[in-house]
Amino acid sequence: MTALLPLIPILPLGGFVLTGLLGRRYPEDAHRIAVWAVVAAWVVASIVAVMALLHASPFGTAGAGITLWTWIPANGFSHGFNADIGLFVDPLTACLLIVVTTIGMLVHVYSIGYMAHDPGRWRFFAYLNLFMFSMLVLILADNFLLVFAGWELVGLCSYLLIGFWYPRRSAAVAAKKAFLVNRVGDMGFALGIMAVWTQLGTLNMQAVFARFGSVPHEWQIAIALLIFCGAVGKSAQFPLHVWLPDAMEGPTPVSALIHAATMVNAGVYLVARCNPIFGAAPEVMVVVAAIGIFTAILAASIAFTQTDIKRVLAYSTLSQLGYMFASLGVGAWTAAIFHLMSHGFFKGLLFLDSGSVIHSVDGEQEMRKMGGLARKIPITYATMLVGSIAIAGVPPLAGFFSKDEILGGAFKNGFLWVWAIGFVVAGMTAFYMFRLMGMTFWGPSHVDAEVEHHIHESPRSMTGPLIVLAIPAAVLGLVIGFPPETGLLHQWLAPVFEGTIAASGHAEAAYNFFGIDGALAIATTALVAVAIVVAWRLFGVEIPSLGLRAQPRPDQVREISARRGLAALYNGSFHKWWFDDINNKLFVEWGGKLAAAAFWFDRTIIDGTVNGVGTVTAGAGGWLRRVQTGRVQNYALGIAVGLIVIAAGYLYLAIR
Amino acid sequence: MSGSLDSYLILSGLLFAIGTFGFLGRRNAISMLMSIELMLNAVNLTIIAFGAFVKPLNVHASVIALIVIAVAAAEATVGLAIVMAIYRNKKTPLVDEYDSMSE
Amino acid sequence: MPIGQTLPFTAVRWDDVLFVVLAIMLLGSALLVVTMRDIIRCGLAMIASFASLAGIYVLLGNPLIAATQVLVYIGAISILVLFAIMLTQTKNAPTRLVFQTQAWVGAIAAVAIAAIIAGTVLTTTWPSTGAVAWTATSDIATMLFSQYVLPFEAVSVLLTAAVVGGVLLARREPPAGKEDRS
Repeated sequence: MTALLPLIPILPLGGFVLTGLLGRRYPEDAHRIAVWAVVAAWVVASIVAVMALLHASPFGTAGAGITLWTWIPANGFSHGFNADIGLFVDPLTACLLIVVTTIGMLVHVYSIGYMAHDPGRWRFFAYLNLFMFSMLVLILADNFLLVFAGWELVGLCSYLLIGFWYPRRSAAVAAKKAFLVNRVGDMGFALGIMAVWTQLGTLNMQAVFARFGSVPHEWQIAIALLIFCGAVGKSAQFPLHVWLPDAMEGPTPVSALIHAATMVNAGVYLVARCNPIFGAAPEVMVVVAAIGIFTAILAASIAFTQTDIKRVLAYSTLSQLGYMFASLGVGAWTAAIFHLMSHGFFKGLLFLDSGSVIHSVDGEQEMRKMGGLARKIPITYATMLVGSIAIAGVPPLAGFFSKDEILGGAFKNGFLWVWAIGFVVAGMTAFYMFRLMGMTFWGPSHVDAEVEHHIHESPRSMTGPLIVLAIPAAVLGLVIGFPPETGLLHQWLAPVFEGTIAASGHAEAAYNFFGIDGALAIATTALVAVAIVVAWRLFGVEIPSLGLRAQPRPDQVREISARRGLAALYNGSFHKWWFDDINNKLFVEWGGKLAAAAFWFDRTIIDGTVNGVGTVTAGAGGWLRRVQTGRVQNYALGIAVGLIVIAAGYLYLAIR
Repeated sequence: MSGSLDSYLILSGLLFAIGTFGFLGRRNAISMLMSIELMLNAVNLTIIAFGAFVKPLNVHASVIALIVIAVAAAEATVGLAIVMAIYRNKKTPLVDEYDSMSE
Repeated sequence: MPIGQTLPFTAVRWDDVLFVVLAIMLLGSALLVVTMRDIIRCGLAMIASFASLAGIYVLLGNPLIAATQVLVYIGAISILVLFAIMLTQTKNAPTRLVFQTQAWVGAIAAVAIAAIIAGTVLTTTWPSTGAVAWTATSDIATMLFSQYVLPFEAVSVLLTAAVVGGVLLARREPPAGKEDRS
């Protein structure tokens, strides 16, 4: 069984190589190898994941792995360093495998239709396969160095895919920004890996977790913080969140796959995987929770005013990722993974839907130029509605269960402030999602005249994945998360987290519907309902099957947002709270001046010194050259002078 | 004065110095060779003077002086032959011009 | 009438007078050799210095070396030098500078050398007997052909080599076509 493990990343790698080498010559068929490779990988991954989740042998409850070969055999030194290429699967890995391979496969199929007219599609599929390979390596790795390799590779693929339409300057700039901001986080991660090695002498994750208690407490905090730094960069938490909205410059399948469902989950996966490290440093867990929930409310507040459909979804992703980190921080580990899975499905669905919408209005992404599309693109509309209800947290869809577990965990583990902010954000999420629905699908149409004639539903290769994704978005919560806290997912993941949960002392009490848990759930649902109603009133609604029909009230929206206090908030939200401007000022302008000064120093003083030595030497040589006149008498004079000096010396010594 | 070794030695020293000045200061190659002959003669005078005033060195000094004279003759021959060969090439006897080994 | 040890009517010995006269001749002609403009005259001054040196050798009780000096130096080397001067003369030789640029430094070096030698000589106590010893020619002959026979033979080889080398070096290049006339 473990022999199947290497097959999972190798299939997409083979797809990448073949598509990269042969794709240019067969542009129409470029997708075939790539898509089949990913489908095959999905099949193998599903088998492995199911076996691992059911705790079947050889995985059992602790998971099992296979070492392929020794990558860096450097054991001879006193501080031996040994890094293997090894793969490891336990129930946590299995959950991620399901998400990554399923959504990856569906996005590949979707891209067949979406990129049908793009001349560079062979490149696109090659990069997508490379991304699948990198992400799978990241998930399956059994030592930190291989995780880091996968980490960097997904960053590279993100750069390649965001800047896929590289002739467009904004895309190239966004790709560069994503890569650089990621790099900042990666540096922290690398330092964390180095710290792990100096303290424990090994990079194998299971070995590190087993012995982590022997590390001095300050080092435990440092290592946890540094690893979290990497997660902050990759999962776009504050303050490294600035790259994710700009990453929407890439094609929509890229946004769906990388920036909603897989790559940004890498940070969450890392923290969850390293739960013994974080469990040993409760101070860092508070930091994690704080940053997570702050990002959640920050992003939600920005999503209120954005008008690009993909930007709203991007900020929504940031907000939900914040939820996941908050959940990790308060100690509700399984809830975070649950939210990761359900979010992956419904955010992937929402992004692919938005891609379908954009495709139908000929590439227009501004929501102010959409409207009234509900009747014209019914399949897209229906699936997007399902996704919006799921993310808003309306029971019994997936989002309700996962979000509720997070908030319940926060409340019960004593993090009341996290619960309070999360409660507010739940309402904000519902509001801006239904604002998006209203502006896009309901109300009068603001679409450009010439585009309006040929608004058409997307081809089947695009709507197929939408329908397939809508199913888990709707029912995943019921299947694996119900009953809460004792459902299937908890049974599967219990062995992974039980050590940390036991050490932290927060025993997961039984779910008590008629006690505190029920009260929290009802409160959240009530707030969500209020938010949805407010959104409907302002932005219109039209669901014939439910008999809901109302027109949007643009004048009310304008009036509300123009009220004095709110105008300042509106401005701040619209300008993304000026984070991009601060970064630009600090790093680009002042950093640029610092770099210019350093360049001047290097060129003038250091190069000047080195060149000066050369010039002095050459000058001295040129000057001394004149001693060689070629005339015997000059040389004889030299001999005479030398003779005089020696003889006078001797005479002086003899007389004294 | 003629009975003291010092005066002969100082005399030869002065002759040697004059020869040195001529060797270092003149421009004509043949003048340089003549100065060399003066220096060799000064050395010869020193040897003979020692032979005259120091009893055990008497005969030895004379023999050595004879050999020095012979060697000086040989050296003068070859030196002048060289100067003539160079003169044929450079058309001038002035050592200023013999600087093809210079930088 | 035998010549007494001292000059008549004075207490000055003949030897001292002769020494002073010869010394002045020697140094004077040597100075002329190194400072005169016309090279031929330099050569003639050199002959004069050799002659006075021969006289000094006689004063030192060594007539054989004096005779050798006259024969070899004046009779052969000086003639050689004069021939070389004649063969390497240029038209405008007398009108150009006599001394090098570095002659001043050379003069200082020469003075320094003289001073050092004088200093060395005067501060050392030589194992001198205080009187000139007469050297017998037969003694020289015996020594030359018994103890110094190897240097003697070597010098004769050297002279042969010098003659051959001098002829070879100074030979005019034969015109083309006449190379293989052996």
